[in-house]
Amino acid sequence: MFSIATYFSVEALLLLLVTVALYVCLPQKARRYVLLISSYVFFFSISGKLLVFLLFSTLSVHHIGLWLSDVQNECSIRTKGLEREERKALNAEYNKKQRKIMAFACILHIGLLLLLKYTPFFSQNINALFGLLGLQLRIPVPKFLIPIGISFYTLQAVAYLFDVYRKKIPADRNLLRLALFMSFFPQIMEGPICRYSDTAEALYEAPKMHYGNFVLGSQRMLFGLMKKLVIADRLNLLIQNVYGEPNKYDGFVIALGAVGYTFQLYADFSGTMDLVIGTAQMFGIKLPENFKRPFFSATISEFWKRWHITLGTWFKDYIFFPVSMSKPMKKLTTKARKKLGNRYGPLIAGSVSLFCVWFCNGLWHGAGWNYIFFGMYHFVLILSGNIIEPVVIKITQKLKINRSAFPYRCVQIVRTFILVCFGEMFFRQESLKQGFKMFGKIFTDFTFKTLKDGLLFEFGMDRQDYLIIIVSAVLLFIIGILQEKGIEIRASIAKRNIAVQFAVYYALILFIVVFGAYGAGYVPLDPIYAGF
Amino acid sequence: MDERLLEILEDINPEVDFESCTTLIDDHLLDSLSIISLVAEIEEEFDITIPTVEIIPENFNSAEKLWEMITRLSEED
Repeated sequence: MFSIATYFSVEALLLLLVTVALYVCLPQKARRYVLLISSYVFFFSISGKLLVFLLFSTLSVHHIGLWLSDVQNECSIRTKGLEREERKALNAEYNKKQRKIMAFACILHIGLLLLLKYTPFFSQNINALFGLLGLQLRIPVPKFLIPIGISFYTLQAVAYLFDVYRKKIPADRNLLRLALFMSFFPQIMEGPICRYSDTAEALYEAPKMHYGNFVLGSQRMLFGLMKKLVIADRLNLLIQNVYGEPNKYDGFVIALGAVGYTFQLYADFSGTMDLVIGTAQMFGIKLPENFKRPFFSATISEFWKRWHITLGTWFKDYIFFPVSMSKPMKKLTTKARKKLGNRYGPLIAGSVSLFCVWFCNGLWHGAGWNYIFFGMYHFVLILSGNIIEPVVIKITQKLKINRSAFPYRCVQIVRTFILVCFGEMFFRQESLKQGFKMFGKIFTDFTFKTLKDGLLFEFGMDRQDYLIIIVSAVLLFIIGILQEKGIEIRASIAKRNIAVQFAVYYALILFIVVFGAYGAGYVPLDPIYAGF
Repeated sequence: MDERLLEILEDINPEVDFESCTTLIDDHLLDSLSIISLVAEIEEEFDITIPTVEIIPENFNSAEKLWEMITRLSEED
């Protein structure tokens, strides 16, 4: 059977080539069907019969959207011409009805996600609790097969329904358009998490493929491939060893593993995003960006505005603001602001919302205590950052330190990077206990003897491997600086004459072929975010 | 521009020139916590309800846009 393991496989490339060929040859009205069929083939080739879950979600989202729309239409007809008080009362009645529909929709979609993804985790923990209490009682721990991308397309589905409920967008009567929005094959596996208003219309329009878009999209795909094959896959041996047997290594190697994993995760996820966004760009479809040079962030809060952006904005729009704007929270803010002032007043309601966001964020990544800890770690960092900020401002003013000066920002960037690496270390280490042990070792068992005794080269990685990773990191850093300065590298390459363009492409292809970590002796890394 | 709105804004962040700035959200001059505070204050002062759907950068990027939203919501209510 035709089956696809990842985006980075020959089969996926084959499907893409067939899709592109059909897309170019067929008229506009047929192109949308090409995209939909390719998307379903892609999904089926990975998850087989679990395609039924995607179909169920699509059909239910379509139906519930129309249901909400009918209620809204009925409300606007019945309130027409009424006096203010009567109109308010009727609006409240219909709002209540809509809230019930939304509760049902959330139970259906989020409930299905919880059931498939988290039941084993919850069951195991309930059994552990029974054990602690000395009870012989045990509940079964079920194991479900999970359809690919469920964590991503469920968030898209819920966002669509909330946007219809909030009258931000009208409900879509066209099932084909909605199905394409839910299933578009480049992004189904790892996002970006799209909003209906951003991509649905463009996907349905299936614009004509242009040479310019094809070139820019291909460039971006190549760059993504470089990040994945040269950096993420090459680092895999080091990461597997350090996280597999952390007790064997001293603090230096553990710290190297923490930095290495953060870099690997970035190369893997942002590389996949380059591939995804580049593929969509080839078809003339603009997907939202998911990364904006996160390692240039001065604070943890800024880091999360630059890393997995579409997940962050989803949590902000559908959890943070709804919680903090709820009636009890608004009352709390008004009261607290009067007593505690502008800075700390809104912090109480804000911290409740922030807790909800980071608890959900941790749990969204996976059913494990390490992920929950990861979420709570960032909650504490962001909250404490907000609490101590006025104190830091006062201290820097007294010491006459210019907070916007380059050296100060550099110190902030390095501090943020270190904090991110610690967080990712706990994220990667499945056992929380081991995670703490690794954390402790960095401070209690840090020596440079590994550099002399050759242990670093026992992971199957030699000097050349480390050198390639360092060179690639420097390359990404330079590209990052140029992008921070607003220079559009791909567009400026595409403007050069054809000889220069192809010289750059061949150099990049050659770089991937020569320095990519594949073949005997290497273990390719499964796309990390596809597992979430 | 309504003086009451400017007072609320200046109370939240005295360092910003709210009469001329049009990038309050884009330049991170109003963060999430400031928005929570701002919404609570506006609702109390102008006796309106700001639904979550209105919390978008387009409505919060300048005092002028904020005032447009307040006026619109007052009329709709």
